[in-house]
Amino acid sequence: MESLAAYFHIDRWPPHPDLLFWIALILLAGALLGDLVQRLLRLPRIIGYCAVGLLVATFGKGLGDGLLLGTDRLIVDLALALLLFELGSRVSLRWLRNNPHLLLTSVLESLLGFWAIFATLSWFGFAPKAALAGSALLGVSAAAVIGRVATELKTAGQVTERMLVLSALNTLYAVLLLKLVSGWLHLDQQGDWIQGVALPLYTFAGSLGVAALLAAAVAVALRRFELRDENTVLLLLGLVLLSVTAARLLGLSTLLVPLLAGVLLRNTSERPCIWPRHFGTAGGVLVLMLFVIAGAAWSVSALWAGALLAGAVLLARALVRSAVLVGLAHFSGISLRQGAGLALTSWPISATSLVLLAELRLSHPVLAQDLTPVVLSAIALMALPGPALVQAGLWIAREYRTEKN
Amino acid sequence: MSLGAFADSRSLTMGVELELQIVNHHDYDLAPSSGDLLRLMEKVKLPGLVTPEITESMIELCTGICVDHAQVLAELTETRDALVACADKLNVGLCGGGTHPFQHWSERRIYDKPRFHEISALYGYLSKQFTIFGQHVHIGCPGPDQALVLLHGLSRFIPHLIALSASSPFVQGTDTGFDSARLNSVFAFPLSGRAPFVSRWEDFGVFFDKMTRTGVVKSMKDFYWDIRPKPEYGTIEVRVLDTPLTIEKAAALAAYVQCLARWLRIEKPFEPAEDDYLPYTFNRFQACRFGLDGTFVDPKTGEHRSLRDDIEATLKALEIHAMELKAEGAIALIRSELAGFGNDAAWLRGIQAKENLLPEVVRRQCLRWAGN
Repeated sequence: MESLAAYFHIDRWPPHPDLLFWIALILLAGALLGDLVQRLLRLPRIIGYCAVGLLVATFGKGLGDGLLLGTDRLIVDLALALLLFELGSRVSLRWLRNNPHLLLTSVLESLLGFWAIFATLSWFGFAPKAALAGSALLGVSAAAVIGRVATELKTAGQVTERMLVLSALNTLYAVLLLKLVSGWLHLDQQGDWIQGVALPLYTFAGSLGVAALLAAAVAVALRRFELRDENTVLLLLGLVLLSVTAARLLGLSTLLVPLLAGVLLRNTSERPCIWPRHFGTAGGVLVLMLFVIAGAAWSVSALWAGALLAGAVLLARALVRSAVLVGLAHFSGISLRQGAGLALTSWPISATSLVLLAELRLSHPVLAQDLTPVVLSAIALMALPGPALVQAGLWIAREYRTEKN
Repeated sequence: MSLGAFADSRSLTMGVELELQIVNHHDYDLAPSSGDLLRLMEKVKLPGLVTPEITESMIELCTGICVDHAQVLAELTETRDALVACADKLNVGLCGGGTHPFQHWSERRIYDKPRFHEISALYGYLSKQFTIFGQHVHIGCPGPDQALVLLHGLSRFIPHLIALSASSPFVQGTDTGFDSARLNSVFAFPLSGRAPFVSRWEDFGVFFDKMTRTGVVKSMKDFYWDIRPKPEYGTIEVRVLDTPLTIEKAAALAAYVQCLARWLRIEKPFEPAEDDYLPYTFNRFQACRFGLDGTFVDPKTGEHRSLRDDIEATLKALEIHAMELKAEGAIALIRSELAGFGNDAAWLRGIQAKENLLPEVVRRQCLRWAGN
């Protein structure tokens, strides 16, 4: 056998598959399973992608440490950047001004959601600092799931618009909260004022700066180039990826940069800014990989340690957020039925939490240690039901077409 | 079902119906939000009505019975302002225009009301192609025979109204070359076209009974004619206009129809005849295709001239009636548009030529509709 291998110039025997081989395998499995889920169960394809991740993790090959290193982090950052940039571009500040009750909904949904998680974690014996950090990690909306399901089902209407805006704003609040907590921890643990104040400030200002550059570049590209040309889409994709890479190099937030860039783009130019959803096929590959990784981010031991608490946190969060969304529905101009649909879309949790956890693990490893099993369990628990919940919410609100007519 | 009696109405009163587009503020495609808008509008007191239309991204508003141009404009302004305020709360835009420039009809959702579902089942894809937006003008008539005479008299001016109101050059992302592509969708319906040439209500009743006996029609609603009698209101209804981009233009067009009706009734400039309809479809096509630059064939003399010239000559003849009806402002607006950019179709093409982005064109339409 080995002589045969040598004859065909196969250097290593037995063959040693590299990273690309596994990525190809994951793509195949994800695409096939996604198609099955969509055709047989009529559920979002991303459930299939997540299922591939869950399977990988079941065989012990997952990322059960919550560290998210190397290629995994790169893929997650890039894919999330595309989704968050799109999401940010849906935040219309004029709408929030015209409909103050919507802004109130957003603030209350997020703040009370954070509080519910803080209270639950405290009740289970977490120290205030850990509980506060945990409320940011677990209180962040599933922006990726929401953006992806809306695109896949081609939904349109008030609940679609609102869930996109609310999840974008919530992501913003959660990142800010975590940075503030992290600054407070520096201050408290090391008594280091410069680190405590300068670091969060640098992150905000720096991220805003890079975001402004990205927004300006995209605005110019959209004006100068023909959008129907696939080449322009690649140009946009390149710009977003470049800015995220820059954010990584400068130690800025890879979540804030694309999100703020989207918001800036939307609100500085009146001219509509339109590009193919998820930047076409190239973006689609990244998004698939993102959900596989999110699905694989658990381990049996983490689930064993954190499932109960994660369940309690998810329940508290869902109850509080639903109460706000249903309670304010009428005042912000939608029906109770739509409010209920919107509430369902606020339950899931996904890859954004994973990124926040990874950042906390780098800056405050000890504190993050205790939170890791809870966060990973929460993500695992919501991996499959999450997209289905968003779909159910949109179905209740009748925002996509089920029949072909 | 019988035709029913022709209701009483005051001569030359008018009412306006406008079908509007609801679009999102993200990519300016149609947005299925009529249900939300109607719910918010329930609390607002209006001079007219706001009602749903066949797809969820359309909404219809109408005035009450108005006596003059100023009243039409005042009622439209009040309803428009209320609608725009509600739309702002929902982050959707409202605009005029006979078609949405790039919407895809296969993606439209049918409004949840039995009649709309029946129409959808009967006409299939045509009903979604019917995502088009028109203005209807009702003119009050003292009796049914007078209504029929007015109907046939106004038919000569249908090309004027098409060319002046045309605002639908783009369909499904392309420039159709037509100024009013919307009417091409209407002509696809089996019962579109013109009313039969009868000038007495009894004769019209005979025609209607024959048609109902064939089972092809059940009520007047099944006729998609350019002008049709509306016995319940005691009016005739002009249905060829594209929804203009502004309420000012909509009010001016309604006043133009009112002035024409007064002129026809009082001066009787010509006697309506069956043969007037010989160049009818030719004239109508020219108006749809070329707008104000289309050729108009005079039905009486057979003379060819441009629609623009025929409209200008008519405006001159209408001056005295415009004074009587207090519609000078309307005539002035039509004249200034004729001297300026032409019709709304020309304005839309101008924006697209400059911006090369149809969503941006829709955004500008929204601004004009809101009165900014």
